Amino acid sequence: MAKREKSRAKSSSPVVKALLGIFMLAMAFFILGPLLWLAIHAFVTNWTYPNLYPDGWTWHWWTQIFANSALEESIRNSLIISPIVVVLSMIICLPAAYAAGRMNYVGRKTFLIGLFAANSFPKIGLFASIATLYYALNLMGTIVGVIIIQLLGTIIYMTWIPAAAFASVPRNLEEAARDAGASKFRVFRTITLRMAMPGILVAIVMSFLASFDEAQGTYLVGAPAIYTMPTEMYALVENYPIQIAAVFSLLLAFPSVLLIGLARKHIVGGQLAEGFQIK
Amino acid sequence: MTSTKTDVVAEGLGAAKAPRLSVVGFLMALPPLLLVLFFVGLPVLIAFTFSLGFTTGPNRVLSMIGQEIHKKDQWWGTFSAYKDVIHDPRFAGDMRTTLAITFISTTLVLLMALGIGIYQRMIGGRLASVMTALTLVPLFVPVVIAAWAIHTFYAGDGFMRSFFSQFGIEFPTVTSTVSAIAIGTIWTSLPFAILMVTSGLQSIPDALIETAQDAGAGFIRIIRTVLIPLAITPIVIAGTFTAIGILGSFTIPLFLGPNQPTMLGVEISNFFGAYNRPQQSIVMAFIVFASASGIALIYIWANVRSAKQSGRI
Repeated sequence: MAKREKSRAKSSSPVVKALLGIFMLAMAFFILGPLLWLAIHAFVTNWTYPNLYPDGWTWHWWTQIFANSALEESIRNSLIISPIVVVLSMIICLPAAYAAGRMNYVGRKTFLIGLFAANSFPKIGLFASIATLYYALNLMGTIVGVIIIQLLGTIIYMTWIPAAAFASVPRNLEEAARDAGASKFRVFRTITLRMAMPGILVAIVMSFLASFDEAQGTYLVGAPAIYTMPTEMYALVENYPIQIAAVFSLLLAFPSVLLIGLARKHIVGGQLAEGFQIK
Repeated sequence: MTSTKTDVVAEGLGAAKAPRLSVVGFLMALPPLLLVLFFVGLPVLIAFTFSLGFTTGPNRVLSMIGQEIHKKDQWWGTFSAYKDVIHDPRFAGDMRTTLAITFISTTLVLLMALGIGIYQRMIGGRLASVMTALTLVPLFVPVVIAAWAIHTFYAGDGFMRSFFSQFGIEFPTVTSTVSAIAIGTIWTSLPFAILMVTSGLQSIPDALIETAQDAGAGFIRIIRTVLIPLAITPIVIAGTFTAIGILGSFTIPLFLGPNQPTMLGVEISNFFGAYNRPQQSIVMAFIVFASASGIALIYIWANVRSAKQSGRI
C-alpha cells in the first residue's frame, strides 16, 4: 500500500498537475458551457451580440409557458405517458430479464444479442418503416401508438441491465436459504430481488429517460394529435424566441436531473456498465 | 438436489450456471421478443421487400403516394432503388460525412474516456472524482436540449463568438457545419463510454499494477501492457455502442449540421417526408443498418473473447 502511495505521489508532479488542471477546465467548459449559455437565456429580456451581458433580466418567459395551453398539454402528456411506458416495460421485460439471468451462457447471449440487433437498426429508418403497420392497426395519432413506440426504446435497458443483475446474484446464497426452509417465493423476494434491486433501479431510470426524451418516433406517430415535451421542442425551436426554448429546456431537464440524482450511486457504481457486458 | 450438488463438485463453478431453461423460463423470455418481432422485425422485413420493389400488399399505400417507385422485374425483386441511391451524388457526400463523423467522434470519445479512466485508476483523488461526475452531466440532458444548447453556444450570435470578439478575434460560426455535428455527437456519447471504460479499468486488481511497478515498468508501459489489454473488452464495447449510436443519430445532425452534406439519419427522414421518395429512404436505412451490423460483429467478438478467457464457454 505504501508503495502505491509513493507511485501516486511520483506521478503528481507540478507539470502533470497543471496539465490535468487545464484538461479539466477544458472539459468543464466543453460540457457545461452550452448548457449554462442556454439556461441563462431563460431569464433574459434580450441579448445583443456581441455583449457578454444580457440587456436585462425577467421572469416573463416562465409565465408565457404556463399561459400557453399547447405547451402545458405537452407537459401533461409527457408526465402521463412516460410512467405508463416504464410500468409496461417492467411488466413485459423483468420476467424475461430474470429468465435470461438464469439461462446458460449461450441461451442468454442469443436472447440479448437478438434484442441488441433489433436496437441497432437506425431508429429513424424503423419509424419510417413502422408507418405501414401503424396505419393498418389504426395506431397513428393515438396514445397507444406513442406508448408502443416509446416502449421499443426501453426494452434494451429493461432486459440487459436487470438480466446482468439477476445473473450476478450468487446461486449458493439462494440455495442456502432454501435449505434453511425458506419458501421459493420468499427466497426470491428477500434475496434475489433485493440483491438485483440496484440494477433494476438503474434500468427504471434509464427507461424513464429513454421514454421521456424520445422525440423522433413520437413526432412521427403522435403529431399533430399528440405532442410530448421533446416533440413540442421541435416546434418551439422554429416558432418561438430562444428564451421560450430555454425555459422549456430547463423544465424538460428537471425530471432527468432528479432521477439520475437518485440513482447516481448505482449508475456510477457500475450497474449500467455491468449490464452492457454479456456475462 | 443431490444431482445438482454432484454437478457442482464435478464441474466447478461452471456448473453453478448450468442450463435451467425450462418451459416456464422460455415463456417468461417471450414477451419482449414477441414485441420486438412484431413491432421491429415485421416492419423491417416489410420495408426490406419494399426496397426490393415489392409494391403490393402492405406496401401498396406507400407505393401509390411515393414518387420514383421501382417495381420488381424479377421474381426476387429489383435493385433499381439501391442503384438510384448509390448513384445519387448527395448520397455519396452523406455517406462520407456519416462514416467520417462516426469514426472521428468515436475515436475522440474513446481517447477522452481512456484519459479520464486511466487518470482515475492510476492517480485518483478528489479531482478525478469531480471530473468523472462532470463528464456524466450529458447523461442528465435530453438530446433535443443538448442539440439546441450546443446550437446556440456556437451560433453566429453565440457565446464563443461573443467572447472572442471582446478581444477582436473573429471566431468562426461552428453551428451548421460538419464540425458542429462532431461536437454534438461527442458531447452526447461521452458519459456511456466513460462509465464503461472507467468500470473496466477499476476492476483491474491493484496487485497487477504494483507487480508491474516493482518489475520497473514505467507509467506508459503499465498503460500499454497492463491496463489497456486487461480492460479491452469494456473498451471495445464502449467503442461499438458509441459508433452504432452515432451512425444512426438524427436529432444532433438535424439541429447542428449543414443542409448538405449531412448525416444519413437526417437524409432518411428528408427522403421519406419532404422529398416523398420512401423507397430510397428505406434503402438508406438498410445501408446504415448494414454498417451498424458490421460494428455489432466487433461487439459480439469482444464478448465471446471475454467469455472464453474467463472460461464461461
